[in-house]
Amino acid sequence: MSEINVSKAPPLRVVVPFYATGALFFLVLAVLMFLSANDLTGHYFSPHLLAIVHTAVLGWGTMVIFGAAYELLPVLCENNLYSNRLAGCSYVLLLIGLALLIPAFWSFSAGTGMIAGGSFVLAATLCYVLNVLFTSTIDDSHGLHQKFLVTSALWLLVTVTLGLCLAINLRYPFMTRNHLDIMKFHAHAGIGGWFLQLITGVSIKLVPMFLVAKNAKTTWLNAAWILQNAGLALFLLDGHLTGSADRDLLYAGITALGIAAWLWYINDARHNRLRKRIDIPMKLTLSSFVFIVAAILLIPVAQSSVQPKWVLMYGTLLFLGCLTSLILGQTFKTLPFIVWNEISRRSRVISLPRDLYSETLLRCQQYLYYAAVASLLAGMLLASTTTVSIALVLWVLLALIYVANVFKILFHLTNTRHANDA
Amino acid sequence: MQTTPETEAEILQERAFRILKTVIDPELYVNIIDLGLVYEVVFAPGLVQVKMTLSTPHCPLGEAIVGRVDEVMSGEFPDRETVVTLVWEPAWTPEMITEAGKRAL
Repeated sequence: MSEINVSKAPPLRVVVPFYATGALFFLVLAVLMFLSANDLTGHYFSPHLLAIVHTAVLGWGTMVIFGAAYELLPVLCENNLYSNRLAGCSYVLLLIGLALLIPAFWSFSAGTGMIAGGSFVLAATLCYVLNVLFTSTIDDSHGLHQKFLVTSALWLLVTVTLGLCLAINLRYPFMTRNHLDIMKFHAHAGIGGWFLQLITGVSIKLVPMFLVAKNAKTTWLNAAWILQNAGLALFLLDGHLTGSADRDLLYAGITALGIAAWLWYINDARHNRLRKRIDIPMKLTLSSFVFIVAAILLIPVAQSSVQPKWVLMYGTLLFLGCLTSLILGQTFKTLPFIVWNEISRRSRVISLPRDLYSETLLRCQQYLYYAAVASLLAGMLLASTTTVSIALVLWVLLALIYVANVFKILFHLTNTRHANDA
Repeated sequence: MQTTPETEAEILQERAFRILKTVIDPELYVNIIDLGLVYEVVFAPGLVQVKMTLSTPHCPLGEAIVGRVDEVMSGEFPDRETVVTLVWEPAWTPEMITEAGKRAL
């Protein structure tokens, strides 16, 4: 039997812990939000919101993305993952970092815990970046998606380094610049560098694949990479060198053009797809692109208004809209296949990957998600604590359903092992 | 009626393609023949070789699909050794999907 380019995915033990832990962090996130209803209608710089945002971006977003990236890097780069050991290290380091960082933010105890937590997250990031750099094989024959993956990893390094500097600065002030200014750079390097470019890189490869699209036009993808990076780099450089926010909207516009070029490609793939029925995971994935457009449209309002609710809504659209809908969808496009692959290795394949999770729970998850995000945005817009509280109950229910479905998939591994033992 | 060698070859091909249609792509839920993943089935004395591709190199499901092809072909032709060869030229494109496959999608 041929051995060419088959079975190069990393072992299950490398990937699955990220998904399982990420799902649990989503539940932690929902509970933390539930406990902080009042903070969600106040100013964005509050200890509880800092804890919530870092649970969302590191515990939920980055944790699942690391796991998915280790599974998908061989497909995206057409090369073996450089190191399973580095991947394992990144999991342990990220988990320890989060265990220190989130409580430190929640109680706002700047000091050893926060700095150590940030250092562990930086070490985890270095492991991830090295794995991406050594796995990628950028040349003319491979697509732009690899370029996006590499730059997104480098932006993550910038983001986490700035974050650690901020944590140190809180305890041992050494920065001459305003703390909130640096926090703005830290946040946007994460949003526009790490998340945006990772999502762009992965989606330009996987969306046409999942939708079986023919001849999607790649004309504007190079422009998307240049514009997204130029907009972000100019925003950071100008902001750092001049300390002025006058041209922020211009840089947001440049980045938005890069996003438009990417979304034009995604829409072309959707338009030219052979797979007419779009399943729930892909519907959630496509919704994430709508959320990112909504967030961009909100930038001028958030920039010009003194009311903090617009910044909160902007962050909600990005993290609980774009990022969360993408992960809620793509979990069920990747994890069942990873587990199914392992089961099929152990025994004769009888079921299909879609049989490993509950379609009913997935449907509930979809409707609950749209209701939760819409009610939360409405509550923020109207400054209604009651609406926000109702929304937060929905978020907890959503997280419980998601966790149940993820662990339903994972329990098949235990069941198969027991069946084989018997 | 005795069949000619050519007809026997055709029967073998038909049996092979029929059994290969039971191998389903676990993501698209369409069989690999209608997806256009099987390029050629060659019979030789004591041997049957399946030349096929995957929708993308390093496909994480590749091992499972190739393993299933090996399994069904070995079951259908127990007196022959099955060899599954993966090829990347020509690269698979969605245009290779049959009309039946497109309807199933």
